[in-house]
Amino acid sequence: MALTALGSVLSAEEGGEAVDPSKAGFVAPTSLEFAFPDIIASDGWLTKPMLQIVLSVVVVFLFFFLSARKRSMVPSRFQFAGEGIYGFIRNGVGRDVIGHGFERFVPYLVTLFAFIYVNNVMGIFPGLHFPTMSRIGFPIVLALFTWAVYNYVGMRKFGVSGYFKNMMFPPGVPKPVYILLAPIEFVSVFLVRPVTLALRLFANMFAGHLLLLVFMLGGAYMLANESLVLNFLSPFAFITAIALTFFEALIQLLQAYIFTLLTAVYIAGALAEEH
Amino acid sequence: MSQDVDGNAGEGKREQARAEGDAWNITGYLLGGPIAWGGIGWLLDRWLDTEVFLPVGLVLGLVLALYIVWVRYGRS
Repeated sequence: MALTALGSVLSAEEGGEAVDPSKAGFVAPTSLEFAFPDIIASDGWLTKPMLQIVLSVVVVFLFFFLSARKRSMVPSRFQFAGEGIYGFIRNGVGRDVIGHGFERFVPYLVTLFAFIYVNNVMGIFPGLHFPTMSRIGFPIVLALFTWAVYNYVGMRKFGVSGYFKNMMFPPGVPKPVYILLAPIEFVSVFLVRPVTLALRLFANMFAGHLLLLVFMLGGAYMLANESLVLNFLSPFAFITAIALTFFEALIQLLQAYIFTLLTAVYIAGALAEEH
Repeated sequence: MSQDVDGNAGEGKREQARAEGDAWNITGYLLGGPIAWGGIGWLLDRWLDTEVFLPVGLVLGLVLALYIVWVRYGRS
């Protein structure tokens, strides 16, 4: 999509059949940039984001498999990288947030982090240039996983009624006030959490991709324009786009980390004795 | 949210991770309050064919959410 827009701008410069850009004006990218054509059948199930998800699974698997295959006391660089990421999530997120009994959640947390990060990085990865998580279906499923995990472990520990009691009634409040507070606790824990979890990841990736598109397409438009002033100003658009790419690289890591951290926070909250 | 952790590394880091989690939980309450009581008010409005309960619910929800935040995070 982005390429066809770029192509039409460039072909217009060569005096092709496309609309003269100086008369048409700059057409800003829209959410249509996130819709991809079908690769095989026309029912919309196999598109570029779907392939990226499959690719990310392969990448994450190979990374951890290869880094753990030849384990040695003096780790190779590869083993060091794998253990570094594992250790960072295990200690920095699992142990520090969940605390006692965190070990059984480490595989989920590490996988979640690596999976989201790889898919986010595809947003600036040469040749792919699309963050998979900017299609909201993927973050929704991940948020539902996390939602299921923290509710399940909470119910396993306290029983269904005990868990609801724990989550919906904060201690140390006069009895009648509970009627007022319980609906808020319920909505916060069971509705707001999964929705914000999915939306935060989706919106960050969506906005980041759109921002890069604006500056890239804008730069191309200015370069192809008849106006010399715009031609000379176009490098600023490209430089901004490059700077934003580095910024995006940071956001991609941060969002993967936040998602994992919040998963751990919610698990810790579900397991806490006195909430 | 205030469980004790065994292990000995990075007390500062642990505090930071927990503070970040608390911040997001507080945001959740501040959103959940108006949604919960605003929703109840909206339903009452539909049921009784009035127009007062939605705004009342929104304000009440926000006030109660602030109260929960104070109970859970501000009192200790």
